[in-house]
Amino acid sequence: MTDVILENVGKTYPNGYHAIPSVDLSIEEGEFIVLVGPSGCGKSTLLRMVAGLESITQGELRIRDERMNDKEPAERDIAMVFQNYALYPHMTVYNNMAYGLKNRGVGKTDIEEKVSNVADMLGLTELLQRKPGQLSGGQRQRVAMGRAMVRDPKVFLFDEPLSNLDAKLRVQMRIEIRQLQRKLGTTTLYVTHDQVEAMTLADRLVVLNKGKAEQIGTPMDLYDKPATPFVASFIGSPSMNLLPANLVEQGIKLSETLILPLSHAHRGGVVWGIRPEHLEVSDEQNADFALRVQAVESLGAETLIHGALEDQSGRITSLVIRLSGPHLPEIDSLIWLIAPTKHWHVFDAITQQRL
Amino acid sequence: MTVTFPQKGLPWLLLLPQLLVTAVFFLWPAEQALEQAFYQEDAFGLSREFVGLDNFLDLFTDPLYYQSMLTTLVFSFSVAIFGMSIALLLAVMADRVIRGKLTYQTLLIWPYAVAPALAGVLWWILFDPSMGPIALWLESMGLDWDHYLNGGQAMILVVIAATWKQISYNFLFFLAGLQAVPRSLIEAAAIDGAGPFKRFWTIVFPLLSPTTFFLLVINLVYAFFDTFGVIDATTKGGPGQSTNILVYKVFEDGFVGLDLGSSAAQSVVLMAIVGVMTVIQFRFIERKVQYS
Ligand SMILES: Nc1ncnc2c1ncn2[C@@H]1O[C@H](COP(=O)(O)OP(=O)(O)OP(=O)(O)O)[C@@H](O)[C@H]1O
Ligand SMILES: [Mg+2]
Repeated sequence: MTDVILENVGKTYPNGYHAIPSVDLSIEEGEFIVLVGPSGCGKSTLLRMVAGLESITQGELRIRDERMNDKEPAERDIAMVFQNYALYPHMTVYNNMAYGLKNRGVGKTDIEEKVSNVADMLGLTELLQRKPGQLSGGQRQRVAMGRAMVRDPKVFLFDEPLSNLDAKLRVQMRIEIRQLQRKLGTTTLYVTHDQVEAMTLADRLVVLNKGKAEQIGTPMDLYDKPATPFVASFIGSPSMNLLPANLVEQGIKLSETLILPLSHAHRGGVVWGIRPEHLEVSDEQNADFALRVQAVESLGAETLIHGALEDQSGRITSLVIRLSGPHLPEIDSLIWLIAPTKHWHVFDAITQQRL
Repeated sequence: MTVTFPQKGLPWLLLLPQLLVTAVFFLWPAEQALEQAFYQEDAFGLSREFVGLDNFLDLFTDPLYYQSMLTTLVFSFSVAIFGMSIALLLAVMADRVIRGKLTYQTLLIWPYAVAPALAGVLWWILFDPSMGPIALWLESMGLDWDHYLNGGQAMILVVIAATWKQISYNFLFFLAGLQAVPRSLIEAAAIDGAGPFKRFWTIVFPLLSPTTFFLLVINLVYAFFDTFGVIDATTKGGPGQSTNILVYKVFEDGFVGLDLGSSAAQSVVLMAIVGVMTVIQFRFIERKVQYS
């Protein structure tokens, strides 16, 4: 069953700024949707429109087939976790979690039961009588989640809930959020600018660019078949190598002397892309091209090699390759590479669409 | 972080003007009053006699003194509570204004620049029973206004005159306090199903409590000690004793009644009250709950 539908939803702020031109999205019940994109692309705006904290200036939002545009946040049966957690500083953890239930007229014994269940689930039982000021960042984050969970809403909304945590805790909470969401089966809309978080959490990802949904799909869809160079560079770390090229009769012409064979009807400017992990080291006879090593980053399990693709015309293009295990090529040495055709991504340079 | 000065003398030099002002305008008169409080002086100031605690004993056996205390309490709490409530209401409204915000705020700050005595005169004119526009309007509404005869009305008048001036000050602090409440808390409460009123009383107001407490003490101190001008310009403590608050009584007994010993003893009591209030203030501010 479709749970949340955004139809041609757009936002123009009172100052005239057109933050979101138009977004269409339908979210299935229990689905975990991640909105991802660079800073300022409108992620928070979109989430806040779903929450009812910003007015919807265009299009329609429906939750369980009910039009929500003009409903107050409280009437939408959603719960939100804020980036700064927004815990009520003068209330205990218990009261923070109970507040929404009290306001909705839930009975005292019911509240006690619900709060203690959720506190149990999140390991907050010991902390119920503390105030937010007496908690660590990770504990506050849990309380914020608990406050969202006790009400058992139709939809969870998260706005970068992990960005204030340190790297290790972030990974741990990320896994925990995913597990809790699976267990509760609550439809979730989650905003982040961290692509690893996005990839690991999402059932489906929405990549936003300047207020437009560039692509919507499963993490693997977006990884395997990015629709635009923007998505291609945004998903995956390190980013995909993207090189300007020309599609000619013989194939992809990267430079005057370097043409990778391909038969395709399209002619003209393209962007040719290949992920760092898909370039293979080879020998001089079989290689497609050579890379002059400029820098090596050893991460233990893998090695990132940054280099330049040189040709006779002297044009230099930077490339990154990612090899598993330790490698120690010398700076300025040449590495011979194969770029397997099945891993190519070719986009039209003008329309930016995948060919 | 503390900044340390290389020489020992410089800090004292920098403090000197402040210390001088304090010495000349506070410590010296205070010492004089303290001394005076133990003497009985004749009406012409020609001779005086050490009487020990007699002045204080007289004071604390005088029913008029207790009446004045009660009047002061009624007056001070009325001024503090009205002044703060109105200021809070205005601040909540100003917090929502988007256009013309600065003009509105500036207008609200002006009364604070008016001297207490002038504020008194202003309201005295407005409420003058025979020609004051407000008094005339009240009469046309069927309410006889004469604060020269009616003690209750006189009290209302001094409370209005004293409150009016203080609203600006309270307003500034409340507005700053409101603007410091994070928006996301209000939004979280809205999602949690609290309407505007409930949000105010369960989230915003509790978060303002340090400001509220600070203002309560400031306003009480103001009403206790800083309202001489207002009273003098409007009712002169009358009719009868109905607006004769403690500070005014000090003046009246000393300079009108020429009982300098009693007046000095009253000053000493007032100073003790200021001292206690200041201590309470600092205690609470130090212990103030820190919300992060
Ligand atoms: N109240 C507002 N009035 C006008 N413009 C706004 C307002 N709020 C946000 N914007 C603009 O809308 C755009 C999108 O903002 P939004 O907060 O949704 O970005 P975001 O994707 O959440 O970014 P970040 O990752 O930095 O949080 C930005 O360019 C921002 O400047
Ligand atoms: Mg944001």
